[in-house]
Amino acid sequence: MRSIRFFLIASILAVITLCNFVAALQGYRASLEEAEQLFDRQLYQTVELITNLHTGHFESRLPHQGDLAYQVWHNDKLVALSSASLTTPITDFSPGFGHANFDGYRWRTLVHYDNTHDNWVIAAERTDLRYMLAESVITQAVLPILLGIPLAGLLIWLIVSRGLKPLRDLSGQLKNKQANDLTPVEIPELKSELAQVYHSINALMRRLGTALDREKRFTADAAHELRTPISALKVQLHNLREELPAENQAFAELEAGVERMQHLVEQLLSLYRSTPEEFSRNFTHLNLYQLAQDVIATQHDDFEKKQQVLELEGEECLVEGDPFALATLLQNLLSNANKYTPEGGSVRVTAEPVGNHVCLKVEDSGPGIAPTDYGKVFERFQRLNRKREVAATQGCGLGLTIVRHIADLHHARASIAPSSFDSGAAFIILFKKAEENEHR
Amino acid sequence: MSIVNMLRNKPLLMIIGVCALWANASAAGTPVIEIRIKDHLFFPETVQIPVNTKVKLMVINEDATPEEFESYELNREKVIPGNHKAVIFVGPLPPGEYPFFGEFYPKTAQGKVVVKP
Amino acid sequence: MLLNSVVLILQEILEAALLVSVLMAFTRVINLRVYWLAGGIGLGCIGSLILSLNMVTISEWFDYVGQEVVNASLQFAITLVLALLTLLYSLKTPATLKWLPFCMTLAVACSLTREGSEIFIYIEGVLSQPPHIRPTLTGSGIGAGIGISVGVLLYYGLLGLPQHWIIYSCLLLLAIIAGNMSAQAAVLLIQADWLSSSIVLWNSSNWLPENSIPGHLLYALIGYEATPSLLQGLAYGAGILSVLMAWSLGRICNKATP
Repeated sequence: MRSIRFFLIASILAVITLCNFVAALQGYRASLEEAEQLFDRQLYQTVELITNLHTGHFESRLPHQGDLAYQVWHNDKLVALSSASLTTPITDFSPGFGHANFDGYRWRTLVHYDNTHDNWVIAAERTDLRYMLAESVITQAVLPILLGIPLAGLLIWLIVSRGLKPLRDLSGQLKNKQANDLTPVEIPELKSELAQVYHSINALMRRLGTALDREKRFTADAAHELRTPISALKVQLHNLREELPAENQAFAELEAGVERMQHLVEQLLSLYRSTPEEFSRNFTHLNLYQLAQDVIATQHDDFEKKQQVLELEGEECLVEGDPFALATLLQNLLSNANKYTPEGGSVRVTAEPVGNHVCLKVEDSGPGIAPTDYGKVFERFQRLNRKREVAATQGCGLGLTIVRHIADLHHARASIAPSSFDSGAAFIILFKKAEENEHR
Repeated sequence: MSIVNMLRNKPLLMIIGVCALWANASAAGTPVIEIRIKDHLFFPETVQIPVNTKVKLMVINEDATPEEFESYELNREKVIPGNHKAVIFVGPLPPGEYPFFGEFYPKTAQGKVVVKP
Repeated sequence: MLLNSVVLILQEILEAALLVSVLMAFTRVINLRVYWLAGGIGLGCIGSLILSLNMVTISEWFDYVGQEVVNASLQFAITLVLALLTLLYSLKTPATLKWLPFCMTLAVACSLTREGSEIFIYIEGVLSQPPHIRPTLTGSGIGAGIGISVGVLLYYGLLGLPQHWIIYSCLLLLAIIAGNMSAQAAVLLIQADWLSSSIVLWNSSNWLPENSIPGHLLYALIGYEATPSLLQGLAYGAGILSVLMAWSLGRICNKATP
């Protein structure tokens, strides 16, 4: 992933380096040119001095420094020279500046013709020395620009990091948010660029939260409101049964329909009964094996009707939870197994500790579920294809959603696997062991 | 995959071509001109070569430091290690002046090839 | 010394930086990892050390033109690797795409070996002369700074283009680099007298001399020469064509076997 920070640091530093260095280079060239001109003027003055000294035609030697050589020629005869100089002309007799190599060095030369005395004056200065002097001065000026770049880099890094902090904070807040946490993100000292982002996120959170709340409240209220008329209906049904013949088909279906409606309403109510916080306040220690025994006892008749074998395996295992909710969970799993297992099939319930967890497993020998459908099973009103085979079964498609909801409330994980029978599915709920919860 | 193979064969073809040209070129007797580098200076500073003739410049570096013979006008560039020599072929060239310099010490190491008819 | 070392280092660094930036942008746009770069730089450093330490021996090969031959081989190798890279990319099969990082490593390693060895030889020579050290190192720092900065800006510049242009720009630049490399290799072989010299195509040294700043920049970026020879021009064209043809060849093969 490309980082904004890295991009900013690298490109800003590159631009600064480029501009500064090119500017420094330009400065260096200009200064060096200036220095060259200065040295040339100096050489010119030297030549003038020599010219004025050699007005007569006599041979002479002036004291000289190692970096300066000169010759005075009169009528092709060398009449004056510095000690280090050649005895042949240093360069051609053409007036002006030039370059020549002798004595193992390269020299800047100046030829001057003194027409009043018919003298050729040639002076030469070592280029390496004059150049080195100029260069060391200019390098001193350029070096700080070079050394300033790492410092600039460090400062840019700090500034860019500081500038991007609000963005990092926001993404940190969003990252730490739980999936179902719809509280607004905290707004720190607001930056104008991010104001809209914060406002939009919080407005979105608020709208989403309100919408979810409304949905929950509506379902719960509706379910609650529906209870009374259903109870009234059931009383009326009871009364009606007395007056009707025993084997009335329409009546039986009416009764089954009302039964189903009541079931649906009860499920909805238990699904939205309370918030997770309120819910976990009522947790108690309970023995899951014991609970399974109790639930099986109440539902035994359903299995008897379909001649199914129902077994319970496992041992005592403690979890923390709400007895009523866990009983609902198990009831749902059992009725689900009961529904989808054909007559004469088997259902096995297992409750046992596994490592740090407690595993509750309900396996059936029904048609099973395709692995690709595992994800869908816990969704609301989801009734997979296998339902058709047993069209007569009563259900509303909420049972497994409630199972997952209850599992979530207990911080347990619900999953599906193939059962250990020849065919069928296994519903596995993995709880944390109660002891562990106590330590916290 | 055959295209990949074709491409792999390309360097071989090129080497064969290059070798053929090489044999062709080195057959002729090429005049040799010596240039010495000492104290970051070229000796001689001016090299005369005949017009429209290929010559072999034998550059002998007598300094301990390496030098790079470079000329924009001649399109030549070659590193000469300290106390070693190198061969650079130049020409055939039309008449004119072709400056060259030592890229490592350009302030002092300056010279030119002069081609005269 | 300072200006001179700037020019020398800048030219070498710029050539390598151009190749690296284009390949990095290419890597980004086809969603590969840039790990290959570390390998290329590592191999390049080792290669340039070996080359510079053995420069004395190498320059005596083939009757004192070993240096030209070795450098020209490295440059031809870059041209070929870039053409191969383009072909492998345009074929777009998993088997060929797998080899892309390898090609990029190889191209960068070849480039750095050549550029790096010249820098090593230069710096090593200067270090033996104390008065030159400071200006040379300052100049080298400036040259390297400018070269790397241009590379960084080119990289972000390429990535800043519209998505579908990036890949074409990268391929075009790779073609230019390949042309530049093969032209330089041709010049070296002419210098070594392995190829015969030919007529000069044009002379633009009056209005854009090679030893001006834009001249140096253009030389490093697109291989500008004020007086190119015919053979050099042909080699340049061949280098560009090899990449462009590899690209169209790959596309044709790709369409033939859908």
